[in-house]
Amino acid sequence: MTKYILRRILLALVTLFLIVFALFVLIRIMPGNPFPVERMTAEMIALKRAELGLDEPILVQFANYLSLLMSGSFGNGTSLYNGAPIKPILLACMENSFKIGVMSILIGTVAGMTLGITAALHRGKFLDGFCTVVSILGVCVPSYVFMIFLQYFFSFKIPFFPYFFDASRFLFSSIMPSLSLSLFTIATISRFTRNEMVEVMNSDYVKLAESKGLYGFELLRKHVLRNALIPVVTVIAPLVVDLMTGAMVIEKIYGINGMGKLMVDAIAGDGIDYNYVLALGILFSAMYILVMLLLDILYGILDPRIRIAKEN
Amino acid sequence: MKKFLTLILFVSLLLTTACGNDSEPGKLRAMLGSNVVSLDTAKATDSASFEVVADCIDGLLQLDKDGKTIPAIAESYDVSPDGKTYTFHLRDAKWSNGDDVTADDFVFAWRRHCQTSDKYAYIMGSTVACIKNADAVVKGADPTTLGVTAPNPKTLVVELDAPVSFFPSLMVFPTFYPINEKFYNSLEDGMYGTTPENFLSNGAFVLTSYVPGSASIQMQKNFSYWDAANVTLEKLQYQVVSSSDNALTAYRNKSLDFVTINGNQIEYVKKDPELSKDLKIISTGLLSYVTFNQDSKNHHAGALSNVNMRLAISNSIDRESLVTNYIMNGARATYTAIPLDFAPNAKTGKFFAEDQKQFAEYVGFNPDKAKEYLARAKSELGKNDFDFTMIYANDAGDMVVKVVQAIKAQVEENLPGVKLNLQPMTKAEYLDKVTTDSYDMAVTNWAPDYDDPMTFFTLWTTEGSEIAEHWSNAEYDKIIADCTTGSLAANYDARWKALYDAEKILLENAVIAPLYTNANANLISENVSGIEFHTVAIDHVYKHTIVK
Repeated sequence: MTKYILRRILLALVTLFLIVFALFVLIRIMPGNPFPVERMTAEMIALKRAELGLDEPILVQFANYLSLLMSGSFGNGTSLYNGAPIKPILLACMENSFKIGVMSILIGTVAGMTLGITAALHRGKFLDGFCTVVSILGVCVPSYVFMIFLQYFFSFKIPFFPYFFDASRFLFSSIMPSLSLSLFTIATISRFTRNEMVEVMNSDYVKLAESKGLYGFELLRKHVLRNALIPVVTVIAPLVVDLMTGAMVIEKIYGINGMGKLMVDAIAGDGIDYNYVLALGILFSAMYILVMLLLDILYGILDPRIRIAKEN
Repeated sequence: MKKFLTLILFVSLLLTTACGNDSEPGKLRAMLGSNVVSLDTAKATDSASFEVVADCIDGLLQLDKDGKTIPAIAESYDVSPDGKTYTFHLRDAKWSNGDDVTADDFVFAWRRHCQTSDKYAYIMGSTVACIKNADAVVKGADPTTLGVTAPNPKTLVVELDAPVSFFPSLMVFPTFYPINEKFYNSLEDGMYGTTPENFLSNGAFVLTSYVPGSASIQMQKNFSYWDAANVTLEKLQYQVVSSSDNALTAYRNKSLDFVTINGNQIEYVKKDPELSKDLKIISTGLLSYVTFNQDSKNHHAGALSNVNMRLAISNSIDRESLVTNYIMNGARATYTAIPLDFAPNAKTGKFFAEDQKQFAEYVGFNPDKAKEYLARAKSELGKNDFDFTMIYANDAGDMVVKVVQAIKAQVEENLPGVKLNLQPMTKAEYLDKVTTDSYDMAVTNWAPDYDDPMTFFTLWTTEGSEIAEHWSNAEYDKIIADCTTGSLAANYDARWKALYDAEKILLENAVIAPLYTNANANLISENVSGIEFHTVAIDHVYKHTIVK
């Protein structure tokens, strides 16, 4: 078991290293400069590039960047926010995105499961159809469209929620973005829950349990849900990362200072802020890899077959 | 039942405590069109940052509501007879931590700006302010050699290499604002201006809430401001709104008191009796024009280095139609290289580009003439079909898309055999392409940095601009050099006249095809008055704004 876990961790580290390298090279190939060149002469541009260490060979730059990462820093910005250290700004944005992400995961999971269970229990009836419509809508309608819809009705037509995000009333003003973000999660989870439950309910052991006299909530809790929810957990994991890393469009239109908005600002300015784009890219990838690693290890613990198959 | 009642109680409580959208007297809620990039005056490069910095920091001089320079931190100034030495006499003013504002704060800030070699360092140098040794300091020389000194805490002496007639107007530009050296040095590197605690005011407002990148910025009146008696606004709140749809809805919702909308929305606003009263169109001084890459090595075998080809294109564009049918935000067609309502003559008060007809021979909408030019170009180039690509930055929203599509249609209709391809890209990529030559034609937007036509003319000198149009004209270069540091610098009238000669050279060669001077369509709530609009340096000044 230890050998299996160590191998997974090593693989994750190698993947992360390759991603960092690819990101590092790609951002330097991208057209555009890491600072606004407008109004600068060629001489000034050269001076600035030297100051940022961009005139060195790319492998040397990469080595420097790696040593920076090793020291636990993401370096300084190249065009945003006076080139101040990235870490505190990134942490502040992460906090906002995380909070809203957690809220939307909670809403999404609870609502999704409720819908899925309801649909499965009323298979083929009106409620099942209703849940299907909701989940199709959730998959098809992008979350920011839903956000605009909410913003229009609940802060413009009925001025209940603030029209823009208000950090001093965090919980209250994060209800609309969390709801919009959770729509996709609701849809995905409800569909999965429904399908898994239908399958489990048709299985022999549930039929046997039923024939032995178990029924209703007891049957659902002890035999159906437990088995049906294992695959659902698998779906939730990557969704968690998705939601935690912020939503570019929603953050932009609602004015939330989160990671998604930070990414847009870093790319869309007069200069591309290399170090912000890199830091965010690395962070997003690291979070994915970490979640996948945990899942892998969990599988290994839960199901010896997976562990053995992967070890060979 | 009990639960139900509790629920109703809870919801009604929420409803009553929910957001009050109504404005409050003494508090202005204004829109900011883009993110604030930096509050450090050496690093700020965008109009949003400049505006917010200017709310909090006063420079030596400031603009009055008509755009004239009036005293700020400098109570008065003297100019030496040769126009090369300015002596500013500073008033008693305080930083928001209680320190005095001294001449050394300016010396420190200016030296530092030259050393950072950032975007606006150029403004200190020989093409603009001509401060002694600025070019050398930008390139790494000892910063103490910069021609700015503080013989005593209340006197600032600036030495120039040449008399610069518009030097006082430069002093309102945030790059020339002071920084408290002691305070700056007490902070960690790069942290100046990243939080309200890391930022000092000597101006009308102090920052109360700001985080880098946050969409909401809050300020309140600075009671220790030297001119506090004339500031009535108690609170100032900015909201960054990136889409004009969002801006209009927020305005109708009374979440904001002052917003800028786009041309499409104007029709809607005009039909609404309430909203139409609040509509105010303000010219911005931003000139939009087409730049031609005249490099003979460019992949179309240098077709654009042919002057007749460029004149043909310039004469095939219907600028009136662009502004009335596509932009619709109050922008005005422009037929000169200098935008409208900008750079008034100090003696006559007439704007530099007041006479829009003086270059009608070269710039205008004249399809027949355009065809003649094209015929000439075709015979000179020995080619009948041309295929050009026009690049543009799509950061300005859908307006620029409509403009380029209209230009494409007009050019292709009026010039048979010419095909125009459009290529949108991010601002960073656009800047990369125009500086590295990889384009045929580019839609360029240029906003003035200071109140003199030179802020545009230096763009087209051989050395001057980073935008590579590959045009070089010795006569033009000479006029610009004479007017900057040479023989004409000290003679106001002769210089002014020479600048028109330079503009003629520019337009008869169709180095650019001017399009329009942009405007902003603003909605200002009826209880708000006294917002000052400027075409140069700082877009809006709220110091004298009153919210009833």
